[in-house]
Amino acid sequence: MTEPQRTVLDEPPPFLGSWKRIYVLVVIYLACVIGVFYWFTKSFAP
Amino acid sequence: MRTLDWVVMFGWLAFLVSYGLWRGRGSSSTQEFMLAGKTMPWYAMGLSIMATQASAITFISTTAQAYVDGMRFVQFYFGLPLAMVILSATAVPIFHRAKVYTAYEYLEHRFDAKTRLLVTIIFLISRGLGAGLALSAPAIVLSVILGWPFQTTILIMGGLVVLYTTLGGIKAVTWADVQQMTVILLALIMAFAVAISMLPSDVSFGDAVRLAGAAGKLNAVTTTFDWNDRYNIWSGLIGGMFLALAYFGTDQSQVQRYLTGKSIGQSRLGLLLNAMAKVPMQFFILFIGAMVFVVFLFVRPPMVFQPVAMEQVQASPQYAAIESRYEQAFDQRQAAARRIMASEAGALQEFRAAQTNLDAARADALKLADVSDTNYIFLSFVTHYLPVGIVGLVIAVIFTAAMSAISGEINSLATVTVIDIYKRHIVKDSSDTHYLGASRVATLFWGIYAMVFASTAKGFGALIEAVNQVGSLFYGGMLGVFVLAFFVKRCTATGAFIGVLAGEAAIFTTAQFTSAFLWYNVVGCVVVVAVGWLVSVAYSGAKTALSEP
Repeated sequence: MTEPQRTVLDEPPPFLGSWKRIYVLVVIYLACVIGVFYWFTKSFAP
Repeated sequence: MRTLDWVVMFGWLAFLVSYGLWRGRGSSSTQEFMLAGKTMPWYAMGLSIMATQASAITFISTTAQAYVDGMRFVQFYFGLPLAMVILSATAVPIFHRAKVYTAYEYLEHRFDAKTRLLVTIIFLISRGLGAGLALSAPAIVLSVILGWPFQTTILIMGGLVVLYTTLGGIKAVTWADVQQMTVILLALIMAFAVAISMLPSDVSFGDAVRLAGAAGKLNAVTTTFDWNDRYNIWSGLIGGMFLALAYFGTDQSQVQRYLTGKSIGQSRLGLLLNAMAKVPMQFFILFIGAMVFVVFLFVRPPMVFQPVAMEQVQASPQYAAIESRYEQAFDQRQAAARRIMASEAGALQEFRAAQTNLDAARADALKLADVSDTNYIFLSFVTHYLPVGIVGLVIAVIFTAAMSAISGEINSLATVTVIDIYKRHIVKDSSDTHYLGASRVATLFWGIYAMVFASTAKGFGALIEAVNQVGSLFYGGMLGVFVLAFFVKRCTATGAFIGVLAGEAAIFTTAQFTSAFLWYNVVGCVVVVAVGWLVSVAYSGAKTALSEP
C-alpha cells in the first residue's frame, strides 16, 4: 500500500500575501454578517 | 408529480450516477480510491464539504423550522467560520505533513495504538448510526410524498449511492457532490422565486418581510444568554465553534474531503469556501421557510401537511368541527395580516390570537392522526405550488442531498475500517491491490448496513431522535484528544486515553441536566484536555520518582 504522496508545503495564498491576513478577513466577514443579521432582527421584530 | 416531473427526477438521478462513475474511473489504487490521488482543487473540496454536511433533512426540516419557530436556528452556524480558520491553521498542515489516510492514523503517530483504536471505535459507532439515519429520515418523507413503498425508496437511494461509491471511490463522491450542490442552490432559488410570485398582487416583497417579522419569524439573532436555550448568539459562537471543530476536524467523513487536496493551500481554500458560504446559505434556506409562512397567510394551507395523516383526520367524526375552527382562524389571521400591512392599532394582538387558534386546531388534528408533520411542510408547498418539471427537480435534489451525505459517510467508514482496523490489526502486510479490494468490500458492507439499519429504524421515531443526539455525545471527546495531540506537547498516550474516557463520562453526565447539546462538545473537550494533561503530568512525575535511585 502506497504512502500518500507528498503535498506542496506552505504555499502562499492566491491573494493578500499571507494566510494570517486571509484568516483575519474571514473573521471580519463573519462579524459583518452577524451585524447585518442583528440589524435585520431588530428592524423586523414585532 | 406529473410525467415531466418523473422524467426530470429520474433524468437527474441517472446523470448524477453516470457522472460520478465517469469521474471516478481509473481509481486503481488505494491512494486513488481513498484520497483521489491528492488531486482535488479547492472548489471541489469546498462544495463536497458543504454537500456532505447538508443532508436531505437539512433542506426539509430547516425550512420547516423557520416556518414554525423562526430563523433563530441560523445562530447554530455562527461558530463554523471560526472553526474553519482554526482548522486551516492547525489540522490541515498537520494531517497533510503526517501523510495519513485517516485522522485516527495520526493519533498512533502521536500517542499509541490503543488511543487510535478507542477513537476509531467511537467514530465507527457514531458515524455508523448517522449513516443509517441519513438514509431512513428522508426515505420516510419521500415514500409518503411519492406514494412509494418505504423499502423501495431505501433501495433506490441506497443502491445508487453504493453503486458509484463502491466503483468510483472518493473521486466519484466528490465530483458528484459538486454537481449536487450546484443544483441544490438552483432549486432553492427557484423555490424562493415561486414563493414570492405567489404573494397576492397587493402584497409587495417588503410587505411580506414585514409580515414575517410581525409573526416573529425573522428572529435571526438572540443576544440573551440562556443555558437551556439551544440557539442564541453565545451557544452558536462558542458551542457551534466547538461542534464545527469536532465535526470538521475529527470526523473522517469531513477530514477525508480535505485530505484529497492537491496541496495544503488548496485544502485551506476549500475549508474557507465553506466558512464564507455556509452561514449565508443557511440564512437563505431559513428565509425561504419564513416566506412560505407568509404565502400561507393568503393561500390556505392544508390543516395537516402529511397527506396520509390528513386522510386519517378526514375520516374521523371530529373532523368537521376541527375543520370549521381551522377555517375561521385562517380567515381571522388573514384579516389581521392585512391590518398589520395597513399599520392599524391592535392588529398584531389580533394576529397572535388568530395564530394561537389556528395552531390549536392543527394540534387537535395532528393528535387524531398521532403524527408530527413538520418535515412535510416544505415538500407540501413544493408539490402543490411549484411549476411542473421544477417539482421533479426539487424532489430529485432532496434525493441527491441524502445521497451526497450518505456517500461521504460510507466512503469514510470504509476507509477507517480498512486503514485503522483491517490493515492495522488483521492483515498487516499485503499488496495495494488487496487493500483496494478490501476497500470496495468495506464500502459495499457499510452501504448494505445503512440500508438494513434504515429499513428497521422506521418504526422507532423516539429512537431516531435519541440516535440523532448520539453524534453530539461523542464529538467532545474526539475533539479533546486531537487538541491534546496538536497542542499539549507533554501529553502522554496514557493521559490521552484516560482523558477521552473522562470526557465521555462528563458529556453523559451533562446530558442528564440540559438538552442544549451544543454545550456537550465544550464540556467534553475541556474535560479531556484537563484530565489528559493532569494524568500526563502525574504519570511522568511518578515515573521520574520511581526511576531515581
